[in-house]
Parts: sequence; structure tokens; C-alpha cells
Amino acid sequence: MSKPTDLVQGTLDLLILKMVALEPMNGWAIGQRLKQLSSDVLQVSDGSLYPALHKLEQEGWVTSEWRPSENNRRAKFYSLTAAGRKQLRVEAGNWERLAQAITSVVRLQEV
Amino acid sequence: MSLDRLRQIVALRLRSLFRRGDVERELDEEIRDHIERQTEENVRRGMAPGAARSAALRAFGGVDLQKEQVRDTRGTRGLEELVRDAAFALRSLRRAPGFTAAVVLTLALGTGANTAMFTLLRGTLLRPLPNRGGERLVYLRQQTLGPEGQNVLFSVPEVADYRAGSKTLSAIAEYSSVLPFTLVGGDGAPVRVRAGIVSGNYFAVMGLEPVLGRVTGARDDGRAAAPVVVLSHSFWMDHFGRDRGIVGRTVRINDNVSTVVGVVQPAPSYPQPTDVFVNVVTSPHHLGAAMITDRTHRMSVVFARLAPNTTLEQARAELGRIASAMFRDHPEAYPKSSRYAVSVTPLRQAMNERASLVFWLLMGAAAFVFLIACANVSNLTLMRGVAREREMLVRAALGGTRGRLRRLLLVENLALALMGGALGVLVAFAGLRLLVAFAAQLSPRAGEIRMDGVVLAVGLAASVAAAVALSFVPALGDGHSLAESLAPAGRRATLGRGRRRFQRSLVVAQLAACVVLLSGTGLLVRTLLKLQSVQTGVRADHALTLELPLEGSLERQLAQQPRNLATFERMRKRVAALPGVDVAALGLEVPLRSSILDFDLRAEGRPAAPGEPTPHAALKSVDPDYFRAAGIPLLRGRPFAASDGREGAPVVVLSRSFAQRLFGDRDPIGRRVAWTGEVLKFTPISGDWRTVVGVAGDTRDEGLDGGPTPTVYEPFAQEVVLGGALVVRAGSDPTLLQPAIVRAIREVSPRQVVEKVATLEQIRDEAVAPRRLNALFVAAFGTLALVIAMVGIAGVLAFSVSSRTPEIGIRMCLGADAGRVRRMVLGEGSVLLAVGLGVGLVGALLATRLLRGLLFGVTSYDPATFGTVAFLLAVVGVAACWLPAARAARVDPAVAIRAE
Repeated sequence: MSKPTDLVQGTLDLLILKMVALEPMNGWAIGQRLKQLSSDVLQVSDGSLYPALHKLEQEGWVTSEWRPSENNRRAKFYSLTAAGRKQLRVEAGNWERLAQAITSVVRLQEV
Repeated sequence: MSLDRLRQIVALRLRSLFRRGDVERELDEEIRDHIERQTEENVRRGMAPGAARSAALRAFGGVDLQKEQVRDTRGTRGLEELVRDAAFALRSLRRAPGFTAAVVLTLALGTGANTAMFTLLRGTLLRPLPNRGGERLVYLRQQTLGPEGQNVLFSVPEVADYRAGSKTLSAIAEYSSVLPFTLVGGDGAPVRVRAGIVSGNYFAVMGLEPVLGRVTGARDDGRAAAPVVVLSHSFWMDHFGRDRGIVGRTVRINDNVSTVVGVVQPAPSYPQPTDVFVNVVTSPHHLGAAMITDRTHRMSVVFARLAPNTTLEQARAELGRIASAMFRDHPEAYPKSSRYAVSVTPLRQAMNERASLVFWLLMGAAAFVFLIACANVSNLTLMRGVAREREMLVRAALGGTRGRLRRLLLVENLALALMGGALGVLVAFAGLRLLVAFAAQLSPRAGEIRMDGVVLAVGLAASVAAAVALSFVPALGDGHSLAESLAPAGRRATLGRGRRRFQRSLVVAQLAACVVLLSGTGLLVRTLLKLQSVQTGVRADHALTLELPLEGSLERQLAQQPRNLATFERMRKRVAALPGVDVAALGLEVPLRSSILDFDLRAEGRPAAPGEPTPHAALKSVDPDYFRAAGIPLLRGRPFAASDGREGAPVVVLSRSFAQRLFGDRDPIGRRVAWTGEVLKFTPISGDWRTVVGVAGDTRDEGLDGGPTPTVYEPFAQEVVLGGALVVRAGSDPTLLQPAIVRAIREVSPRQVVEKVATLEQIRDEAVAPRRLNALFVAAFGTLALVIAMVGIAGVLAFSVSSRTPEIGIRMCLGADAGRVRRMVLGEGSVLLAVGLGVGLVGALLATRLLRGLLFGVTSYDPATFGTVAFLLAVVGVAACWLPAARAARVDPAVAIRAE
């Protein structure tokens, strides 16, 4: 099984929250969008999206709804809750601070 | 956490738990949808449909795996597994019905005994009193500590002194009860009631509220108040059938017309059961000058409430000071030789004085039974655990973690313990009535015994604790790697050395506990036998007694003296003339019942030696036939005669040991005695000299464990008639005569109350009954323990034999015969028995010392009892070992070795 790397594991939640913040989406679409946007850098197996999604739902950050979609099908659409929006802000802030810190370390001039 | 979020989380958890099917279906659908979309996407990119689908599945990364991980996010997995484990446990227990039955029964007996005893203990000893602020209530006791020390109660002036002097007591209430009262209700039929004459503040001090009407208050005190009655809750229920219209109605109490003003809440009645509470004005005696002014006229029981912010110790110290001052100021009322003392006891403790020791002992006995039961069950579990070691190893090999296996065991044991516990509670519930009857003999609070949530919770907690403990008994291959554990598992498993020692210690502990319980049983049973063999001094067979109380106040009784005497005599004659009646005799009281009258006595020409307590005896007025009817032998002189009447010279008959005490070896006939003492002047009894005309055999009226009751008999016709009693001796079963006797009495006086009809045998039995129940309870526990312990030792040996079958086979091949093998197994059992017996006897010697207060005629280390117990346990123990030993002897060496 291909687990996401630790870094991704920690940030997968953040990415999913961001995705569903854009618009309500079904699981497959989230996966597609993730792959596109990250230019396939994130090595995530399609399936491992679902435990993460369900966990976010159980935490109350996202909520889901079965809705008709194209071709007469039903799909489970995930959308962000109010609590999820707050959580997204917190996690995005955390990520930016971390990224900044790491960037500044990496850019240190070697003597 | 926002409310919306919380609501979503809870809703999802509940849905996962209770709509599991829906949740799973949705998950399936979601994943199917994903695969389809991905397949379409792949086809769009130019894959063949079949390849597109497998690529989608591959990219998904294991559908079932992902599903499992999704399920993990629901947070309800533990619970789901628990349910599955429980179902599994029940299945596996059903496959071992013998084991299950043994464990459930053992635990049921253990928890049943404990739940019952705890119910008893909680209802009577542990729960706070129902009285408001009951923990601040105290009971004052004035007693003499001299050789004939007794609780002497308080007089009105004494109570007044305490009221005036005490700052640590916020209020003092008085309660007194003289002779039984007669109450005539609306239906006109007189009943005898136990009346408490109480001060107006009684209910306020006791913290008791009315459930109907009002209770008494300050306005009910004094001679100007109207006579009022407050009914006790139980009397209201039993006698007035919960009639809510009772308030305001009038009843006749003795000769007073009193108004029922209320019904008080249910509460324990101490120091004696009380049917009705009346105010002082109802009892003319309480208004008399003697009652109010005489310091030695002590009739009141005193309850008090501790003032706020004072401790019991402060109250004790203060009352001690007041008492000393009182003793100093009124030396005539407190003779030095009697050593007066006043004590303060919390009411709850005073109420439980008699019950406390017995109930705690029984609780201890029940706890022992529980321990034995647990030890036995853990043995059974241990043995089953060994047999299941392979199962556990297979489970471990298939991926069950140790924690998971432990949980499986725990769930199984929980199921067992809860079944046992539930059954035990049922057993206890069934025995509740018996329990309450038993408790009522020792505690005024028996009525409060009930099974409530706390009792059930404690039972449940005990069961769960047992289950948890049991789950850690069997080995789960501790300390071994899986491979190491698997290696020997192909062969029959045996216990490791440590576990075997543990198992044996359990058996020894069971046996020891058993010895303790059986020794206690033995001592109590011997006490019972001793008591039953005590000579009461009467011929108890074929004698019926009836009490014929007089109606109305003392004054009226005194005024009607000659008429009452004549009426009683007419009744006696009628009864004596009935066919089947040998003798009928009159007395003020019945034989073997303690007398209501007892006084100090002086003997003519015999000054008391310095320091010698004043002789004190019970007064019994009896007619000439009384000795014959009761079967009390006349040892010297003559019985009373018809000539010992009102006008004749006053005469008495003394009981044997009292005559001995007064006159030593000198002949008492012809000597003179007289009643004396402070109390006499409050009674209609005269202190005239009376001549001794006879000596009768001793009787024991104060219970069989008391000594002979010092008694002075007077002719019925020469003493005031305060009531009557008939003693009827018959040729055959006297109870058959009862209807005829009552009819004969009613022919003389249609309204005569007939009470307490009992044979002398029954009266005698009343004295033994509480002891019999003590013995019965402890014996029940002892027998339980014996059975459980025997199953335990037999089980351990059986297990040992079956795990040693190959070894026994080899021994037999090498020349051991059946007898030798049997002896080997019996030897193994005997060592356990001997050690258990030894430990148990030491424990019993220590434990039975607690029993001392309950024994009569045996010492707490009675060698005969201990010997019998040891012998019994040895015999039963060897018998229990015999079965496994015989099985060992039947081992066929060929079969045993081939099986290897």
C-alpha cells in the first residue's frame, strides 16, 4: 500500500479542507483536483483520501450530502462547515509559519 | 467547541453505532462511484474498459483496506468489537455448560450471600437515620454500675437540671412508657397499644415530620392541655388501614378521650416499639406530685439534639460535670454503692448496640464465602485457561494482540460474573423477608431494610471486580515469544510451577476460610444446644398461658380491686372445669416472662454487710395452683392456700437461690421479708413484713442465658390486681383447648382482652429464636463454604491427575500398582488438606474471639468444636479427593503412553 509520506500525512487534511473550501466536491473530484494542482508531486493513492475525508467529517470540519450529479448519478458531496472554515484558517496559518521557517533555514548562506 | 460541530459529531457516532448497515452501504456506494468515475476517466485516456477498471482499482490501493481505515475513523470500533466479543463469549460458554454452571452457581452463592448481608447492614447500620439531622441526635443513659447495674432512666427533676445546665444540647425531649394502654377506637373494640408518653418537643427534637395532621408541640405540654394522640406510621397503616380521615377523630385511651391530631412519618422506634404517642396529660400518673417532684422517680427515656458547632465529646464532658454536681447536691438520690453514671451515645449507635456485632460478623462470614467462591472460580478459570492455551495461541498467531485476547477473556468473565451476580441478587431478594424478620429481633431499624440502587450497584461492582481479577489468572504466554509458546502447544499443556503453586494456595485459602466459618458455626450451634438444655425451672410441656390485661387507668383498677379479683377467680374456675384441663391457675404474669415489678428487699434481722448490694427481686403474685400449673417444684414449706387471702397474714414463697442468698443455709421458713427502696412509694405495693412459708424452684425469666431470676411470690389475693394471666395445664395438646378457654373467659366477661396466648414451650423458644437464626445464618454460610471448597479441592486434583496421565502411565509401566497411584494422588490432596486445616484453625482461634459475646456455655476456643470441625473437614476432604484418586488408579498405562 502506498501511504502518503509523513509530511503529506500531516498536510493532507489541510489540502482537503482547502479543496472543499473552493466548492462542494465528491471524493473522486477532490482526488483529481489534488493531483492536478500539486502536479503529481503528492504521492497519494486514490483510496487513502477516503479515511482522511471521513476523519474530517467525524471531526465536524466537513459535512457530506448525497446529491445527484451528471449522468443521472448520485454522489456524496463534501462541503466545509463553519467550524471547518476556522480550522482551515488555523492550519493554513500553521503551514505558512512552518513553510517560512523551513525556507529561511534552507536559504541560510553557507560559509 | 461549537454546538453545531458537537451535534454533528454525536449524530455521526450514533449513526455509526445504530445504523451501521446504512453507513456501510453508503461507504460501498461512495467507493463504487469513485472506481466508476476513475474507470471512465481511464477509458477517456484511451485504455480498454477491462484494463481501465483494474487500473482504477490498483490506484485506489485496496478497497477493503481503505474501508477498514475509514471504519477506524468512526471511533466506535471498540464498542463494536466488544459486542462481537460478548457474542463470542456467550457462544463459547454455551459450549462448556458444566464449567459455566459451576462458575455461575458459585458466584451466585457468593454474591447472593454478600448482597443479602450488605442489604441488611446498609438498612440498619450504615444508612443515616430517617430523622432530619439524625446524626446530631443523642441518647442519654443514666445507669448504675454496681453489681446489679441497670439502665435506670431519668426523673423529671433530673431532666430539668440537665435542661437548665446544658449548653451543648440544644433541646432535650422525654419519652416514657408505663404499662400498655388500652385504646378504644370507633369500632368500640378495645386493643392494647404500646404508648409512648412524650414531651411536646419530642418530634421537633427527633426531627420527625407528620405525614398527616400535626405532631405535638409546646401547647400540648402541661396539665391544662387537651389529651392528644399522634399515631405511628405502622399503627396507622395496620390498625386504621391508612384512613386519611382519622385526624380529628377521638379515641379512648385508658379512660381519657383523646383526639387524634396526626400521623408521624415512618421512623425506627427506640427504645421500644411504639404504636401511639400521647401527651403527658393522658397519663394521670405523669401529673402526680411524685412524678414531678421526686428525683428518684425515674421513668423517662431522654433524647437530645447536639447544639450547632458542638461535638459529642463536649456534650459528654458537660453532662458529666452536671451529673457530678447533681450527685453531690442530692446524695440521698444517688447512693454511693450503686455508682450512678450518665453517658451520651449517638442515637444511631444506641439503636444498633445489639445488632452491630452480629451483623458485622455475618457480613464477615459472607465476605469469606465470597472469597472462597472467587478462589474457586479462579481455579476453574485457571484450569479452563490451560485447556484453552492452544486456542489462545492460535488466536495470537492469527493476529490477535495480547490486549485483544485479554479483552476477550475479560468479556467472557464479565458475562459469567454478571450472570452469577444477577442470580445472586435474585437469591438475596428471595431471602429478604427472612432477613428482615431476623433483623427485627436485633434492630429497631429492620423496617428500613430494602434493596435499592446502592445495594445493587455494590453487587454489580463486586461482580465486575471478580471478573477483572479472574481475567488476569490464566496465562497468555506471558514473557514468551509467540514461537516459544507455540512450540510446546502441540502437547497437552500443564501449569507452570508458579501457577501451580498459586492454584494450590487458592485451595489452601479456601480450606482455611472454610475452617473458620465452620468453627463459628460449631460454636453457635453448641451455644444453641446448651441453651436448649438449660432447665427453665418450669414444666414447659402441655401448658398454655394467656394474658388478661385490665382496661383503664391504674386508679380505676385500684378502685375495682375486689371486683376484678372475683372476676378473675370466676374465669379461672370456669377454665379449670373445662374437660381436658388438669389445672388452671392465676397470676399477675406468666411464667418465664420477666416481671414488670421488681424492688429492693430487706430480710428481718439481717443487716446488709458493708459494700453488699441491696437484695433485689422480682415480685410475682400467684394463686395457690400456680406452682402446680407451671410445674415449678415446691422445695420446702407449703404453697399458698385459699386461706392466704386479703384478711390473712401476709406470706411469701421465695425462689431457691434467692432464699439461699438471703438466708444462706439457715431455714428460711418463718422468717420475714419486706419490700423496700425509694421506688416503692410510687407504687401501690406495701412495704409490710411478710412471712416466708415456702421455697420454690428457680426459674429463668430473663432469658435462658441469664441466671435464675431472684423471685418473691405473693398470694394473688394479697397483692394489688394490676392484671391477670392464666396458666392452664392440660392432659394433651393445650393449644387445642384455646377456643374453649377463650369462650369460657368471655362467658364471664364478654369484653375481656385476651393476649399473648402461648404455650410455655413457645415462650421458652422465643428466648432461643435469635440464637437459632444466628446459628442458621452462619451455618448456611459454613455449608456453602464447605461445598465450594470441596468442589475446589476435587477439581484441582482432577486437573492434576488429567495433566499427569502420561506420567502416571510411565509410573505404572515401571511397576507402580493401582493402590500406589491412588495413594500418591490422595497424598497430594492430603498435604493441601493438612495445610489448609492448620492455617484455618489458627485463623479460627483468632476469629472466634469476636464471637465471644454471642456464646453461651462454650468458650470461644472450645476444643470439642474445633476437633469436630477438623475431623469433618478431613473426612469430607479425603472423600472429595477419592474421586480423582480413583480415576488416576484406573489409568491404563498402554493407553496413556500411546496418547503421548
